[in-house]
Amino acid sequence: MSFEQILFEVLRTLNLEYILLIAAGTLIGLIVGALPGLTTTMGIALLTGITFKFSGHAAIALLMGLYVGGVSGGSLSAIMIGIPGTPANAASVLDGFPLAMAGKGAKAITVSRSASILGTLFGIMCLAFFTPILSNLALKFTSAEFCLLGLFGVLISGTMSGTDLAVKGWIAGIFGLTIAMIGIDELTAWHRLTFNSPELTGGLPFIPIMIGFFGIPQVVEALSAEQDVLVATLDKSKTKLMEVLRHWKVALRSGLIGVGIGIIPGIGEDVAAWVSYGVAKKASKHPEQYGKGSIEGLVAAETADNSCIGGAIIPLLSLGIPGSPPAAVLLGAFLIHGVRPGPMLNFEFPAFLYQSVAWLLVATLFMRFMALGLARPMQKILTIKNAILMPIVAVLCAIGAFSLDIRYIDIVLVFLSGALGILFRKGKYPPAPLVLGIILGPLVDTNFRRALKASGGNFSIFITRPIALVLFISIIVLILGQLGVFAAIKSKFRRIKQTT
Amino acid sequence: MEESTRRLRTLDFFMGVGFAAIGLYVAIDGYRIFISPDLAAVERPANPGVTTMFIGGMLALLGLIIAVIGFIGSKTPLRNAKQAIPETLRKPTFLKGIIAMACIAVYFFVLWGRIPYVISTFIFLAGIMFIFKAGAWWKIFIISGVTVAIVWYVFGVLAMVPLP
Repeated sequence: MSFEQILFEVLRTLNLEYILLIAAGTLIGLIVGALPGLTTTMGIALLTGITFKFSGHAAIALLMGLYVGGVSGGSLSAIMIGIPGTPANAASVLDGFPLAMAGKGAKAITVSRSASILGTLFGIMCLAFFTPILSNLALKFTSAEFCLLGLFGVLISGTMSGTDLAVKGWIAGIFGLTIAMIGIDELTAWHRLTFNSPELTGGLPFIPIMIGFFGIPQVVEALSAEQDVLVATLDKSKTKLMEVLRHWKVALRSGLIGVGIGIIPGIGEDVAAWVSYGVAKKASKHPEQYGKGSIEGLVAAETADNSCIGGAIIPLLSLGIPGSPPAAVLLGAFLIHGVRPGPMLNFEFPAFLYQSVAWLLVATLFMRFMALGLARPMQKILTIKNAILMPIVAVLCAIGAFSLDIRYIDIVLVFLSGALGILFRKGKYPPAPLVLGIILGPLVDTNFRRALKASGGNFSIFITRPIALVLFISIIVLILGQLGVFAAIKSKFRRIKQTT
Repeated sequence: MEESTRRLRTLDFFMGVGFAAIGLYVAIDGYRIFISPDLAAVERPANPGVTTMFIGGMLALLGLIIAVIGFIGSKTPLRNAKQAIPETLRKPTFLKGIIAMACIAVYFFVLWGRIPYVISTFIFLAGIMFIFKAGAWWKIFIISGVTVAIVWYVFGVLAMVPLP
């Protein structure tokens, strides 16, 4: 496709309808992100159910707006009430809330907004640059590489997103893969794990599971722990973008960390923000100011989590493997609307990458104007009781899941996956690997068997091709590292060194 | 070891056993598919039982690992569970959670589809808001009514979803 044709396609999806939809998505994202208890992932899952009748690209543009707004919006509540709106903004509480309590709420919000814009723009830049490169590389992938990449994604997501043992993350991922196997097998049309139920023949639909898994536990948890909220007052002070640019080194480093973590499958914005905050504190000349209202700390956290958006979309578009939980739900929305991300996307929809870049840029622009304007009304919205908000969320969970296929079984699925989500939370099992497992299940399953079929049942196909070998070694290193094998070897060597 | 960690390990033991059992079932089902005479014409590597066995086996193994970790960490998982269950049942947060889940279950399984959507949703919203003391009765009625109207208009009218 020529440059003119791509430009025409991009402009075609930047008409008034699209711009209004992106604006609506960004606004909804800012509100959803700002309200503690409603996450970006859940917002995208809910809105996917609502927008299923929109034309494909229009719905995706709206959801991308929500993604950008959601990650940025979480900082509003982090700064104003000291409770992160989404897990991605947890690191922003450390310096944002002390600033607001010191009477510099507006300054904290403008700093956070500027850092968010810088981060998002950096992420978008990387998205535009790296996606074609990765897509070209992915064209060289065979079934063996795709299978190992899927498995690697599930395992690394399990390793890095958990708060307790890495094994729990792996279990969550493998359990997701198990769920994905329910239904008719793609290669042989054989019924697997269907218990002879016609409802399970087509497999378990992804969106109702996501809505239930993220929505219902949040509703139940918020209703059982009602707490009073202390909202900081806003001053009139504002910070210009140039003032934030003074911390350009921190912003650049955080942007790189965010994009890097975003590219790794299944690891989200929250990890990016914490890693970036930790690195910035270590490298800072004034680490003692961190946690007491450091502008640098706020810039580090907000730049990283927002640049992670672009980073997470890179593997999504080039490999069909989402880089974060919101990107995983976004993938579900893509599939519903007939867009199949992966190496072939460039051939099926040659302008899609650039359309996505344009939508994300427009969303960033809206975020720039909406964030501070929304801060004052949000002071009121944030005081809404959970007892009012959460029942409404439960209603949206039900109708959002039902409207996709008009099937009662989806309501049952929302409830069951909600119960599973509660159990996962209690047991400290990370949700991201499960989501990734369900998404990557068909990829791992079919490519595993295709690779074996191509090699005549010889498993050496997984180690004889260069890219496959790298992925195979990465998986082994990852597993051995988590099992403490390297630490044991290291300590043994140290002991030998000491004795000699 | 802290009490909270001991409780978590107790839960790990039971969840690990659960995952191991599920994994074992999936692996056995995979083996059944693998040796099924109906799939004799399918090449062995392409047999759908191959991945099922592999994934099920991995889940069973990891479940077993977490169960062992839970057993070692909690030492006496059964006794710990016996002690923890009555204590948890008395916790107000747990009771509130159960009530919230029960309200959702009533909405999904009893009200949904049996009475018109607008009425069932209004009953659910007003009921749960009353139970969790969201505010004065007239506020609850207004909020529930407005929410139902918006949801009905957006889904039933604009999106043309055939509401139950």
